[in-house]
Amino acid sequence: MEFKIKRKSVKTVTTGSLVDVYPHDLQMYKIPPTDNISLQEFESLALERLTLLRCLATATTLKGLRIFSEEWTDFVISDLKNQGLKYYAKLCEKSGCGTLQPDLEARRKDHIAHFILRLAYCRTEELRRWFISRELELFKMRFMTMKTDAIDSFFKINNLCYTNISDDEKNELIKYLRESTFYHNNQNIENFKFYKVKFYEVLDLVKSRKVYLRGGYAYIPHKDFISVLSAQFRMLLRQSLAVACHHLGEIEQDERLVSLLKGLHQSYSGNDFISDTKVTVPIESLDFLSAKSFPLCMKQLHEHLRSAHHLKHGGRLQYGLYLKGIGVTLEDSLRFWREEFTKIMELDKFEKQYAYNIRYNYGKEGSKKNYTPFNCLKIINTNVGPGECHGCPYRHCDSGILKNKLKGYGLDAQAVNDVVDMAKKGHYQIACSKYFDAVNKTDLGLGINHPNQFFEESQKLLKGDIKIEVKKEEKSNIVKTESNNIEDMDFDEITEWKE
Amino acid sequence: MVGQYDENVLPDMLPVYYTRLFPQNLFCRWLSCGNSPQPLSNRELSFTLADDVYLRYLSINNQKEFFTLLQKKCPHKLDIGAVYNTKPSVGRHDAVVLARELVFDIDLTDYDEVRTCCQEAKVCDKCWKFMVVACEIINAALKDDFGFQSILWVFSGRRGIHCWISDYEARTLDSPGRAAVADYLCLIMGGENQSKKVHLGSDNLHSSIRRALIVIDKYFDDIVQDQEFLSTSDRLKSFLKMIPDEALRKQVQENLERMPTSSIDRWKCFVNNYNQFCKENLHGMRKMKYLIEEIKIQYCYPRLDVNVTKGFNHLLKSPFSIHPKTGKVSVVFKPDNAKDIKLDEIPTIYTLLDDSSSDNVQHQTNMRTAVKNFQELVFSLEKAEAVRRKTEANTSLEF
Ligand code: SF4
Ligand SMILES: [Zn+2]
Repeated sequence: MEFKIKRKSVKTVTTGSLVDVYPHDLQMYKIPPTDNISLQEFESLALERLTLLRCLATATTLKGLRIFSEEWTDFVISDLKNQGLKYYAKLCEKSGCGTLQPDLEARRKDHIAHFILRLAYCRTEELRRWFISRELELFKMRFMTMKTDAIDSFFKINNLCYTNISDDEKNELIKYLRESTFYHNNQNIENFKFYKVKFYEVLDLVKSRKVYLRGGYAYIPHKDFISVLSAQFRMLLRQSLAVACHHLGEIEQDERLVSLLKGLHQSYSGNDFISDTKVTVPIESLDFLSAKSFPLCMKQLHEHLRSAHHLKHGGRLQYGLYLKGIGVTLEDSLRFWREEFTKIMELDKFEKQYAYNIRYNYGKEGSKKNYTPFNCLKIINTNVGPGECHGCPYRHCDSGILKNKLKGYGLDAQAVNDVVDMAKKGHYQIACSKYFDAVNKTDLGLGINHPNQFFEESQKLLKGDIKIEVKKEEKSNIVKTESNNIEDMDFDEITEWKE
Repeated sequence: MVGQYDENVLPDMLPVYYTRLFPQNLFCRWLSCGNSPQPLSNRELSFTLADDVYLRYLSINNQKEFFTLLQKKCPHKLDIGAVYNTKPSVGRHDAVVLARELVFDIDLTDYDEVRTCCQEAKVCDKCWKFMVVACEIINAALKDDFGFQSILWVFSGRRGIHCWISDYEARTLDSPGRAAVADYLCLIMGGENQSKKVHLGSDNLHSSIRRALIVIDKYFDDIVQDQEFLSTSDRLKSFLKMIPDEALRKQVQENLERMPTSSIDRWKCFVNNYNQFCKENLHGMRKMKYLIEEIKIQYCYPRLDVNVTKGFNHLLKSPFSIHPKTGKVSVVFKPDNAKDIKLDEIPTIYTLLDDSSSDNVQHQTNMRTAVKNFQELVFSLEKAEAVRRKTEANTSLEF
């Protein structure tokens, strides 16, 4: 990757060749740019792309919109327009193969900016994950807004040749294709062309059972090629970020770039709730603290542990890391779990089977990583199986049970309804924030995105930290939201493909 | 019967079992194939010894070494781990996992919220039927949908079954791939606080779900009769919670409570109720379109321990090892024969080594059948491996 930075920009490329370089609005970013650009342009392109990616994150986490839904896309596009990023709005709204000067300009910016951010985001695993997730969302969104002819030319340009299955084969399988392919009722599957790819090329479709499988092959219609493409795009990004990281040294010879690239993600890193400097919390106070300062997901685990003297693996992990995050020491933690577990089992069994895991959470065993507490996104998206009670109660509880729980905690009828209503609509974090307000008797309307944030905000309130600066408080939370997602967005996780 | 035997004699019996009955040769061949192109020595084995001493990162170069190791350590539990890029050892934290059979673990304890005959560690021939259903459903999906061939089914030794897939594609599948396969097969979701754990939506039912329902239907009446899901007022209560529509729920409740307690009759009555209700409420049935199917699935569909499948280096109990608590052999069985398995006909180390035991003859026979099943799989796996290597060599020559 080479970037030659000049004080003044020199346009060396003519419109004619831009058409050749950028024939299509949607790019796979396989070849790095070789343009000369000014430092100023470098900086503004970087910031603009960062705004774009943040905008995607906001739509999902803060606004609680379902990813790739119409409202989600609408929000993103109008937000881009509001932020003065018309060219991105246009690239996202309808990708095509226009040849007008503004089209070409936009593609050039898109291309260069993507590569600049690779440099900024290749430094750590967390940054990489965050970047890949956002870029993938962007890519998918743009693919989905494309018209058929634009898709066709995209395939041609990128040399993606697949041959569809024969009519005979299709007719033989049509019953199963109809049962198992995901498509809208208003579409006629008889008109679809089907393609055969290995099942591991479309894991997102396999995972959600939206494709017909036979003998190791997935039969996908044209529109589902986005799954194949995004899997490839993810791989490509992953590899090139690793490469970029290797070459950082060379690029950082240039002082100006170093500060710029570093600054870019520094403005972005927030609290990951690994507690070491903070106050320690004695386990004797947990019962008391859980009343007001624990979010429901943790309160529920705490109570289950106290009554059943046991938690299954998922619960131990979720609750154990949370406790670490609020400031319970390893020694206290061991004592806490031991006291409960040994009410139903021999001490010996506890030490053998469970103590290891607790030390592991604190980075004292196994790979010795200092694990961070789970954020809401991770908890909400976790799978909860029979007999388990971790996860997020707003998502993983029947509304009847949730209602009774809240009533039992003494919330008034209005508050109970508000919370349950939000949960029913799928706005789990907003439900959580309403619960926060109800138990802490305020109306902050925080954006809750981490159980440990819930705890800290509640403690602040109880200790009287927050005075009148409510507005400012909210602001700083927005930054937190995004940064916390970085560390928990699982690199290998397949974001579900909802339509 | 198992109960009358004493765990304390295990240390004396295990060496004899390992020498005379454990199919060492097949075992090593099976693992070698599963390792290829890595050598056998790159596979992690782990032993649990008599006093719960736990040895990890053991490895063997060949059958002879395996034999010596078994004699020397006499493990009470024998587990198999992943294939590394190098010989695994305690000190090597830089070793990288390269491959691992795709595995499934289904355990009856995960059925505790539905089974009524036994709980926790207990198991009987009635609840074994859940395992039969699970095995048939998963096996069909692995073969027909994913195209896998070398699928080994093993009794876990107490109350469940394990499945090992040794196809090259399965062994080298990465963790997102494993997670996707597990999720594809997982229909029951939800914790303690969710009564209805299956949601099939209102679109077309996926072919794999239809096929699973056909299997369930073969056993459903039997299982309902065995388990009496609807016979007591408590069970009825949790059943009713699965009906999302209040009007229908009330109606069903009234009707069922008035009936005799037989679950099968109650179930039939519920189905009639539901069908009638559908006719009368053509609209508003969207969210209950597949209610019957959903309930059947919640009662009978396999409950996988997905973490075992998703994880790359989860250790899993070896085929033909002895369960230290029950003394039972982890026999290999054919999925088609799962339904014929009787729990007390599964050989134990005690009966196999005791000529005077009344079960001895039959257990010997069953042990031989299990070894034969294993052998068949190993032979076909070796063939498949040979073919794969040949095509690989050819394609690499071409380029
Ligand atoms: S929204 Fe977050 S903090 Fe609140 S209960 Fe759910 S997971 Fe816990
Ligand atoms: Zn039973």
